[in-house]
Amino acid sequence: MAKTKQKKGSTDRQVAMVFDLNKCIGCQTCSVACKTLWTNEDSTDYQWWCTVNTQPGQGHPRDYETMGGGYRDGVPQPGRLAKRSEWGGGWDFNYDEVFYGGKGRSTFLQHVGEEPEWGPNWDEDQGAGEYPNAYYFYLPRLCNHCTKPACVDACPRDAMYKRSEDGIVLRDETRCRGYQFCAEACPYEKIYFNFMRNVSQQCIMCFPRVEQNVAPACARQCPGRAVWFGMLDDHEGPVAQLVNKWKVALPLHPEYGTEANIFYIPPVGPARLSEDLSFDEETPRIPREYLEGLFGPKVNAALDTLTTEMAKTKNGRKSKLMDTLVAYWWKDMFKPYDRDPAEIKWK
Amino acid sequence: MKVVKLRLANSTLLDPAAAQWKKIAAEQVTLGATPLHKQPSRYVRTAWAGKPVGSVRSLKVQAAHNGKNIAIRLEWPDDSKDLDHGDGTIFPDAAGVLFPLKGEAALESMGSPEAPVNAWFWRANLPEGEAQELIAKGAGTLEPAPKTQTEARSRWYRGRWQVVFSRPLSVRGDAVRFSVRKAAKVAFAVWEGANQERAGLKSFSKGWQELSIQ
Repeated sequence: MAKTKQKKGSTDRQVAMVFDLNKCIGCQTCSVACKTLWTNEDSTDYQWWCTVNTQPGQGHPRDYETMGGGYRDGVPQPGRLAKRSEWGGGWDFNYDEVFYGGKGRSTFLQHVGEEPEWGPNWDEDQGAGEYPNAYYFYLPRLCNHCTKPACVDACPRDAMYKRSEDGIVLRDETRCRGYQFCAEACPYEKIYFNFMRNVSQQCIMCFPRVEQNVAPACARQCPGRAVWFGMLDDHEGPVAQLVNKWKVALPLHPEYGTEANIFYIPPVGPARLSEDLSFDEETPRIPREYLEGLFGPKVNAALDTLTTEMAKTKNGRKSKLMDTLVAYWWKDMFKPYDRDPAEIKWK
Repeated sequence: MKVVKLRLANSTLLDPAAAQWKKIAAEQVTLGATPLHKQPSRYVRTAWAGKPVGSVRSLKVQAAHNGKNIAIRLEWPDDSKDLDHGDGTIFPDAAGVLFPLKGEAALESMGSPEAPVNAWFWRANLPEGEAQELIAKGAGTLEPAPKTQTEARSRWYRGRWQVVFSRPLSVRGDAVRFSVRKAAKVAFAVWEGANQERAGLKSFSKGWQELSIQ
């Protein structure tokens, strides 16, 4: 269980994840792995601690990037709570009718109840741009277990804390009184409210798994080898290498000032097609300005490094970075958190 | 503020609509917003600067006992009956009665480690009849009391909340105790859920009032 409470300041160690947006296929296996493990009970139906959204897009909750929170020059910024309609609620389907009601051949699986206007993956694959230069990519999002967690800072009851042994941000639900200042303050809008239990909830980085050297479910279940998990101080590990050595993994919206610990390899994307249908290698199809808006100005250097290293392998040369990104050995993506959860007798 | 003695069943005292309450003298208590600079969260102090807090400015209070139970009835105007979190951005309405457990405990800061306070708390989304009994030793330290002996019943009628708290006069443990013909201190708080009032963002009676138990 949660061992050391540490409210502010640096932690001894920090877990982190790297998502390669060039490899993410938007299959939502991470979202579902998390959903079935943690948000399977009443009043958690609308909670998706891990979501994958199409970018450009409005995200989840809808237009979360306009809701405020985080810090500017170290000063907490006002945020607002997302409306239920902006989350999109949890939808009900006619499972009983189709699967058990004998109507499997006369009706189809469909949503029942009030018509939703938004959901966790509403604008899937819409993206932006005009044919033949339309573009989109997928962005998995979960709690960033920030180094400067605005949520922890916002709680007037010290119900939230950042563990010193691994930097995981947790909530003592026995202290939480459902005030939701944490949710207001989180600029990533990754804190949910359990209306039935009157407590806020968010991704716990699968801490019971991490304590047993098992990577979080979203990372381990990824079928695309697109997620690395590890400690940032494990300097030889892929996470630290990608973040600190190669500097190709960047936090989302660094301007939010919380120092997020979920990192992303930005999408290189294809080159633009010119009017004569030849490739214009000089112009990326995903506009740099758009990526700068998501990952900050460091995205340029990261993309340059990625293109340079990709060119090396294209030319038959070796690239250590590309070897890491290819992830030849699945278990190496989580070492030492590579234990098989099936081997463990969970309490 | 007098706590009049009446020969009434506790169930009658607990009924905010009971006709007997009409005969009991009411006192109008002025409420004010809690000071923002004393909120224990840096986020709250910054984000709520300039936002109006403490929507409810006046509270009608009545009190009675039947020799066994003490009942305190609160009534205040509220156009919006907020029973839950609505569209997800509001909070259920709430009210609280606060007692010092030792002398003149600090009211504004919800007591201190040396002088804790005891709260009876009603929130519109608690099951009918249920109240929370809490102990605080300073802002942000509210904890459930070891034992809950307080009940609350409520109704929203013609634009007004009416809430009655009832508890045995004398109880064991970490809780305020009342004795007939003795005085006690009391304070009040109201949270307007439609204004996102919760936690320390509320209206409160700025000083302890005297309860004189008849």
